[in-house]
Amino acid sequence: MEAVMIHSLSKTYPSGKQALKDLSLSIGGGEVFGFLGPNGAGKTTTVKLLTGVLTPTAGSCSVMGIDPARQPEKAHLVSGIVTEHAQMYDNLTGMENLLFYAAAFGLPRQEGKARAESLLRELDLTDAKDRRLASYSTGMRQRLSLARALIHRPDVLFLDEPTSGLDPESAQNVNQMIHGLARREGITVFLCTHQLRYAQEICTRYGLIEQGSLLAAGTLEELRGRLFAAKTLRIRAANVLGNPNLTECKLKRRRDDEFEAEIRENEEIPALIRTLVEGGGDIYSVSLEEPSLEDIYFALTDKRNDSRDNRKGEAR
Amino acid sequence: MNTAMSAIIRKDFRGVSANRRLFSSLLILPLLLVVVMPSIFIVMIHLMPDDPDTAKLLAIMPASARLSSMELTLSGMVVNYVLPAFFLMIPISTASIMAASAFVGEKERHTLETLLYCPLTLAQIFRAKVMASFLLSMLVSLISLAAMFAVVETEAVFLMGTLLVPSISWAVVILLVSPAISLIAITLIVRGSAKAQSVEESQQSAVFLIVPLILLIVGQFSGILLLNVWLLLGLGLACAAVAALLLKTAMGKFSYERLLQ
Repeated sequence: MEAVMIHSLSKTYPSGKQALKDLSLSIGGGEVFGFLGPNGAGKTTTVKLLTGVLTPTAGSCSVMGIDPARQPEKAHLVSGIVTEHAQMYDNLTGMENLLFYAAAFGLPRQEGKARAESLLRELDLTDAKDRRLASYSTGMRQRLSLARALIHRPDVLFLDEPTSGLDPESAQNVNQMIHGLARREGITVFLCTHQLRYAQEICTRYGLIEQGSLLAAGTLEELRGRLFAAKTLRIRAANVLGNPNLTECKLKRRRDDEFEAEIRENEEIPALIRTLVEGGGDIYSVSLEEPSLEDIYFALTDKRNDSRDNRKGEAR
Repeated sequence: MNTAMSAIIRKDFRGVSANRRLFSSLLILPLLLVVVMPSIFIVMIHLMPDDPDTAKLLAIMPASARLSSMELTLSGMVVNYVLPAFFLMIPISTASIMAASAFVGEKERHTLETLLYCPLTLAQIFRAKVMASFLLSMLVSLISLAAMFAVVETEAVFLMGTLLVPSISWAVVILLVSPAISLIAITLIVRGSAKAQSVEESQQSAVFLIVPLILLIVGQFSGILLLNVWLLLGLGLACAAVAALLLKTAMGKFSYERLLQ
């Protein structure tokens, strides 16, 4: 069974704003799915629809086979949710907050306490557990929210911008924790973010969304393959210009000793290097530059804008 | 009632009772109503000269209300006909403070969304919120009740040399009418707090709309107290039925989307 299924999901707000248009996706168990897009793309709306807080205008979705629009309370039992607006009680300590949510999720007191203690330890909050939440820093609050979302051992974790407002170090810590927890506990993670660099570090598959429409979905390799035919191989080498087979290598000189070659498959690399070495070249470094998630994202949005411009041109 | 609902009740209840300043300010009005006011009445009755007009007034009262002396009769009337109405105001005024922030308070603190992500239906969250306010107002009522009888009876013993016997109506008021009327007020106020955009708005609608309306109904009870305990019992049961119906239907039209707006 897929952990999350989204079928032709659309949401138009009462104000008339169409936040989501015909979104279809499926996420398998144990995946760390990065749902990426700029602010206002429809990421939060999707999370709210998947957690039953919003009802869809059209289409349907399910979380572990449960329709959140019909049985939100059952969907919440299998979901852990961290969003910017889902805060905890400032007048309670970190531990008291976790104990409250453990009880709210029906955990017996002893079990809730043991679970809270182990999560606080894992999230490096043990020293602050008896301090009121009001004295917590933003990073500590985010980590405690993560502990709160995991208290009932959910099957799916929905994270909406879990690192927003955090300094780079705290953001990296939170991301590493998400990565570690997902791997250890086998939880499916639905991570919404616009921080593409962090997403690339922890996600196994991606969906890119803009203006309520899904631009593409797949693993990094799949997306690269779909959008970029070639990869760039950077080589630092000396004595290669006299090589008679240089044209065959399609090597372009960038600077004094820096060269670039466009390749399609990684298998082309050994042959290329061999040709250079056999021709008397001295190789100092070879690095394969593959398009990053950021490159993919901008390529997709450019493509979309181009096709929109073309449509407008044709209409004129 | 499941564990999750009782967790919300405990959390809300602790939120107020752990705040000593808030809790003690909650007790000021009740103590004024049931300790200071009755004491003034009883001392005034004791100091009042025998007045023929008052004697005429007492003559038209039901025979059951008349006691051996005018002072005892008047004090008995204060205890059995005036104080129950005062007593009914306590849970209502107490509830208006906590119930008014039930939903909108969570919204302002950005904790409502987190609460909605718990595995509870909206109706269950609503009932838990109502129960928390209800238990608090019942606790304040009981504290006030104990304080009132302790003070009034002590005064009666000192001034008149005898205890004042509360009528059977008191039992109906404490066990049925007071809980039922408070439940109506709390349900309406909590429902209002789900619609309000700020705690102030919710408190204003509670204090200026719901509480006066309920107190108007309470005012009618002091008349009924004079008539018949069975009528009081009947009306108490009717209030309990209204409370149960309100509690069941009040959240009918609410959705997560509307609550978070």
